[in-house]
Amino acid sequence: MDRGLIQKSAPVADPPFEGGLNDFESLVRQHRPRIFRFLLASLRDREAAENLARDCFVRAFKARDQFRGESNLGKCGLATWLMHIAANLVRDHQANSRLKFWRRKLRSDLDPNDLSDWIPDQQQSPEALALAKERVDAIWKAAASLSERQRTVFLLRFVEDMDLLEIAVVTGMKEGTIKTHLFRAVQAVRLVLEAQK
Amino acid sequence: MNPHLARHLTREQISKCLIGDATPHESQHVSSCAVCRGELARFELSFSQFRGSVRRWSDQEEQLSRVREVVTMNYENHLERLLIPASVDLPWYKGIVISVKELIHPPKLPPLEVTSKPVKLASLKGLYGGHETTAGLGSVIAHVAVVALLLFAGTLKPVQQAIKEVVPLFAPDLKPLQPKPKPEASKGGGGSPQRTAETKGELPRVAPKSFVPPIRPQDDPRLAVNPTIVAPDMPNINSPNYGNPLGGVGIPSAGNGIGTGIGSGKGPGIGPGSGGGFGGSAYKIGGGVSAPVPVYRPEPEYSEEARKAKWQGAVLLQLVVDENGVPQDIKVIRSLGLGLDQKAIEAVQKWRFKPGQKDGKAVPVSANIEVNFRLL
Repeated sequence: MDRGLIQKSAPVADPPFEGGLNDFESLVRQHRPRIFRFLLASLRDREAAENLARDCFVRAFKARDQFRGESNLGKCGLATWLMHIAANLVRDHQANSRLKFWRRKLRSDLDPNDLSDWIPDQQQSPEALALAKERVDAIWKAAASLSERQRTVFLLRFVEDMDLLEIAVVTGMKEGTIKTHLFRAVQAVRLVLEAQK
Repeated sequence: MNPHLARHLTREQISKCLIGDATPHESQHVSSCAVCRGELARFELSFSQFRGSVRRWSDQEEQLSRVREVVTMNYENHLERLLIPASVDLPWYKGIVISVKELIHPPKLPPLEVTSKPVKLASLKGLYGGHETTAGLGSVIAHVAVVALLLFAGTLKPVQQAIKEVVPLFAPDLKPLQPKPKPEASKGGGGSPQRTAETKGELPRVAPKSFVPPIRPQDDPRLAVNPTIVAPDMPNINSPNYGNPLGGVGIPSAGNGIGTGIGSGKGPGIGPGSGGGFGGSAYKIGGGVSAPVPVYRPEPEYSEEARKAKWQGAVLLQLVVDENGVPQDIKVIRSLGLGLDQKAIEAVQKWRFKPGQKDGKAVPVSANIEVNFRLL
């Protein structure tokens, strides 16, 4: 839990929010896209992602005194710290949504077919585009079938381009555990990709 | 030979390279082996496309939400908006507890402070130019006058007369005049054990009971009794021999049924039915006759030829479901060919029905059945 981490942290050493609200606002503007992207990819639900992104900054703001530039796993930047909160929020959200099973029908789940419409380089040839679309589709499908931890690790590694150490800080898992999760996730994605051919 | 190229990387090793967890040996192999590098590049391309798609999507959503914010929100209280009240975020079970608590001990609300003040309005006086009294009086007088006029009109003789002149109407009892439903003419028919179908001929006299059948009257009886049949009144003809007045011409015969009547049925009547009377044995569905319901219906088999020809369709059969629910007298009305008609008949012969009913009694009912043949 992020609270655990935050409470474990020692008293303020180098609060990054000295400038008060204005400073925080610029921080939100700077980091929100990344957080939102991670949440969106994890949940595939725009509204939930928006809500969680907001919660993430609310938590960060409430706990701003306790951030001191390092976590229980070592030094970490502000971005990593925020991502850590976001990852915890995703986990809480998934756990909650297991309770809220009746809401599942109402949730505006995005169609994977729509997801592959966001392919970069729309100038490609139609064949290449169709191929890319299929591949992206397959990865979305594979990512959806992963467990929550595997998906988080997978997205952090391949969407957010984090290295294993950073992921360890964000998820609070040991590096070996992350390697295992990542390996399984990649194997699952490869299986889907190869099955498609 | 380069030792790094001795063997290509396994699937697991390539996955390890993908997650950035390759041993120095594996990374060296990748850098020198084109096949493995290609394999790795293929997956990396897929992942980068995935990354690109996620980024584009989130950027798009971000822009959309920014547009929405601009439209709906004020930048002034940007941060207050972030800090939503804690009550919104409560888990559901806590919400239930709180609402139950509030139901039992409603929270005391602070006294209502009225922030608005009464405003004095201009007087309505003078709107009518000082004629309020006259206008009010005039209105009262007009209403009273109308009511008085109505009352006065009611006391006048011609009016009272007009009201009294009422033509009373009553609904006559039409029940005895209603036509009674005709008792259903008894169905049935007769037959006689001869080889050929009944021929045209004069109908014997109709009697409630048939003592002497119309066929093979005994030669030179001591007490001659005219042959009779049990049948309703029906048109008759003059003919030297007995037969069906509606039948065809031929060697005189009283039909190939069983019994003492005329026709192909059973019993002392005339026609293809049974039990006396005239007509076919089976009722038609409707008019108080319920349809038979199949209770056991084995599927028809496909004939070999039809299976080979991939022949599909439906065979329409006509049959009579007797009182015991057994199909009788199955005829093909619409044929399908290729042996499927026969298969349909074979299947329907095995069917069993809940017989059709009339007045709570099981009766033979004729029905059409469509047997479908579909190749899956």
